[in-house]
Amino acid sequence: MIAVLLAFAAPIAAMIAPAPMVAVPEPPSPAPVAPPPAEGDAPLTRSAASARVADWFAASNDNGGLPYIIVDKASASLAMFDARGKAIGDVPVLVGIAPGDDATPGIGTKNLSRIGPAEKTTPAGRFRARYGLAAGRQKILWVDYATSVAIHPIPPKSEKSEQRRARMLSPSPDDNRITFGCINVASAFYRKSVRPLFQKKGGYVYVLPDIRPIEEVFPRLRVQALIDRTAP
Amino acid sequence: MSPTITKLTPAAILLIAATGLGGCATKGFVREQIAPVSQRVTQLETALQETDGTAKRALAEAQAASGQLQSSTQRLEQLNGRVDGMEQQMQAQANRGRRPRN
Repeated sequence: MIAVLLAFAAPIAAMIAPAPMVAVPEPPSPAPVAPPPAEGDAPLTRSAASARVADWFAASNDNGGLPYIIVDKASASLAMFDARGKAIGDVPVLVGIAPGDDATPGIGTKNLSRIGPAEKTTPAGRFRARYGLAAGRQKILWVDYATSVAIHPIPPKSEKSEQRRARMLSPSPDDNRITFGCINVASAFYRKSVRPLFQKKGGYVYVLPDIRPIEEVFPRLRVQALIDRTAP
Repeated sequence: MSPTITKLTPAAILLIAATGLGGCATKGFVREQIAPVSQRVTQLETALQETDGTAKRALAEAQAASGQLQSSTQRLEQLNGRVDGMEQQMQAQANRGRRPRN
């Protein structure tokens, strides 16, 4: 009897059940802030991609005798090197909230309020970074002036709801995507390391890609792969 | 009639005839000589008319070019004004500084 009832109930239940929803892409929303790190946590380690790029640029002297920074968006970290390729430090950063490696054309002239959620990317590539004037007569390290991407400390006037400081301090890189495209670093690191090294002549900033293959963004890495393959 | 007159009469007739015939020959000669000159003058008149036409056309073209130059100069001055304005705007923008994407 029960078996008969179940045999009738199954198709009826299937008819009553709601139809499967079609996935609709949503604009990126900031990931929740991870809890602060416990004492004794391991220091920030460099990702494999970042280490590979660092090795290549140090070996090839691509920095042209200038200090350089490698920003890895995936691990939300920044590795800084002096002009001779000596590592200065690895620190967490905040990057653009939207994943992506390109910038919308003309985004550099847009007001922040008019930048759409999907446009808030930190573009990937090799950039000649220089100090220059920004709004409010302040000098900042422009990574790409055309797309208005710069490296600077967390803006003091940033929304409290964004919890940028907490995001930077959290051990997880997942909550570090919050900016409009700029790269935020800790204020102390900016003041003590970035500014002294880059203020005079600037340097290079390499931003690793989110989506595009790394060799596409940095074509010279293909040569390294070739050398590695042909090496005895 | 005196014998002297009788003697002189044929001579006078001859002189008058010679003079008259000589005058007729001079006109023909002159006409003959003038003909190529006249033809040359006609050619030159034609050439002069052509040159005059060419000069008038050139003058008209020069006047048109001058008009165009004037309008171009005016347009250039207008554009100069606009470029100056844009330069000032850019300078003002540069002085204000671009806002980073925080």
